[in-house]
Amino acid sequence: MANSKAANIHNKATKIKKTPEDIIINVVVYLICAIVFILTVYPFYYCVVISFNEGNDASLGGIFWWPRKPTLENYEQVFKNKKLMPAFGVTIARTLIGTVTSVLFTGIIAYGLAHKELVFRNFYFTVLIIAMYVSGGTIPTFLLYKNIGLYDTFWVYVVPSLFGIWNCILMMNFFREIPASLEESARIDGANDVTIFFRIIIPVSMPILATIALFNGVGHWNDWYATAFYTKSRSLQTAASQLKEIIAQSNLTAITSANPAMSMENAQRQVEGATQNFTAETIRMATMVVTVFPITVIYPFLQKYFVKGIMIGSIKG
Amino acid sequence: MAQAQVAKAAQRKRDRQYVFRKFKEQTTLQVLALICMAFLFIFNYIPMVGLTMAFNNFKPKLGLMGFFTSKWVGLKWFIELFNDSAFWPLLVNTISLSALRLIFTFPTPILFALALNEVGNMGIKRVVQTVSYLPHFISWVVTQGILVSFLNMQNGVLQQMMLNFGWIDEALPIMTSAKYFWGMYILTDIWKETGWSAIIFLAAITGVDPTLYEAAVVDGASRMQRIWHITLPSIKGTISIMLIMSLGGLIGGAMFEPCYLLYNSLNASKSEILQTYTLKVGLTQGRYSYGTAVGLFQSVISIILVLISNQASKWISGIGLF
Repeated sequence: MANSKAANIHNKATKIKKTPEDIIINVVVYLICAIVFILTVYPFYYCVVISFNEGNDASLGGIFWWPRKPTLENYEQVFKNKKLMPAFGVTIARTLIGTVTSVLFTGIIAYGLAHKELVFRNFYFTVLIIAMYVSGGTIPTFLLYKNIGLYDTFWVYVVPSLFGIWNCILMMNFFREIPASLEESARIDGANDVTIFFRIIIPVSMPILATIALFNGVGHWNDWYATAFYTKSRSLQTAASQLKEIIAQSNLTAITSANPAMSMENAQRQVEGATQNFTAETIRMATMVVTVFPITVIYPFLQKYFVKGIMIGSIKG
Repeated sequence: MAQAQVAKAAQRKRDRQYVFRKFKEQTTLQVLALICMAFLFIFNYIPMVGLTMAFNNFKPKLGLMGFFTSKWVGLKWFIELFNDSAFWPLLVNTISLSALRLIFTFPTPILFALALNEVGNMGIKRVVQTVSYLPHFISWVVTQGILVSFLNMQNGVLQQMMLNFGWIDEALPIMTSAKYFWGMYILTDIWKETGWSAIIFLAAITGVDPTLYEAAVVDGASRMQRIWHITLPSIKGTISIMLIMSLGGLIGGAMFEPCYLLYNSLNASKSEILQTYTLKVGLTQGRYSYGTAVGLFQSVISIILVLISNQASKWISGIGLF
């Protein structure tokens, strides 16, 4: 809001009389907006278009704005797929369980650490900051999970991300801004720490909790790394890791088709698949759309929260 | 003398009692703090200790104690790394890509934020800003999928468009040759993160005192002059801090995912970086100690870069993180 006010003064002053410079700047600025808008939206729009088009027709190219031979077959294939659907199940489970537990766990601990008179506070903070900046790296982490029995279990998705250091610091900064009187009056009324946390702290901290829940949720939803390196069972595959495999296959096709001898073989395979209404490409597009859709729907509603959350983090951090 | 000592001892005793009493009062909070410490110990400090693997010949069957009980080999793995035929290309790729990101990916959000701030129509501004965040929330896996559909040589949209406009005579092997990798990566990186990174600069622009603009208008400053002499200097501090922070992250995590996913046998000579190599030798080939040494080497480079940039920032703008 303050931003729009400042911008208004800045822009209104120029409204008095428009100099040639103003016109040039306006043209350039709106042009930039248009370019950013198209560059961002069109790739996603194109995926949607292709995902609603018949496969063999799509492979001919020439589709830019609208499906040429519309069909729902690709989506049927995705939703019938015996590998993809369980993978989406795992993704949804880890996103829900992972996000809720992580926000609660990090929140409770941040509440504990945020107290100004906490004894040994400096020690706790030092341990926290060192852990934030120094990391053991991939391989020791992998060995740790193997040795404590997290490797190749569902919990490898949830437990290591229970506590986020950066999120904890964001929350502590937020909790410290809550007036102490709120807590004191509750204590006089006989509330204990647990009641205070759930009845007072959580409700007033919704902006920061929503921000962190969004970051966490998106992280879980998009993650393929843990699946690729910390699991091996098929039943633990996530949507992101399945999509990665699908795309890797099309990448392989691209490599082989860069080689003329192999591209013949590839063309052969396409002819064989000609009886179906879908191809690897259109299935890939439909899977991508299904993967992206929930994020696209959710993030705009949380925008005012995460913009604020980032500002809190940047000012204090 | 003796009296002072007695007084001091008494004071110390009182302090200790005070701490003890406080500690008892905040049992719940202390339990929370201790749970936090235990978590950090397991998930952050044990792997940190695991860095010792870079200096010994780690045997997986020894379990976590193998971090200490494996045979010490000193700098053997580092010497092997420097003599590895892959080493120089790796180092060149890692540092070049970091530098390219610094030159192109870092300033773009600042320009975008400045442009967005000049937009008078609030509706358009809000829509463009919201849309610009979208790629940040999309995984690199999906981004890779989009790249495939735009750049593949059979029916990639971008290839078709360039052919239609007559810019190229035949489809270019953008995803399948080393020549195009850096350009493709940097452009994709800009596409993905510009809108998101601009948040922080827009927030900084918000904090600029509006009276400065009013005074400048009265003095007859043009819009360009106001941007150049008021907006930019006002967000100088934010730019410096973001620069230092991004440098630390540059060579570290941010490049891993795209380089790992966009890597293929045809662009390997330009797309393999220290981080992907760590994983390749460490996890895929099971050479744990060597992989850890590569990872540690990469961390050392990034720490050096942060220190250098912090110093540079202090000289140039007087602002440093530490």
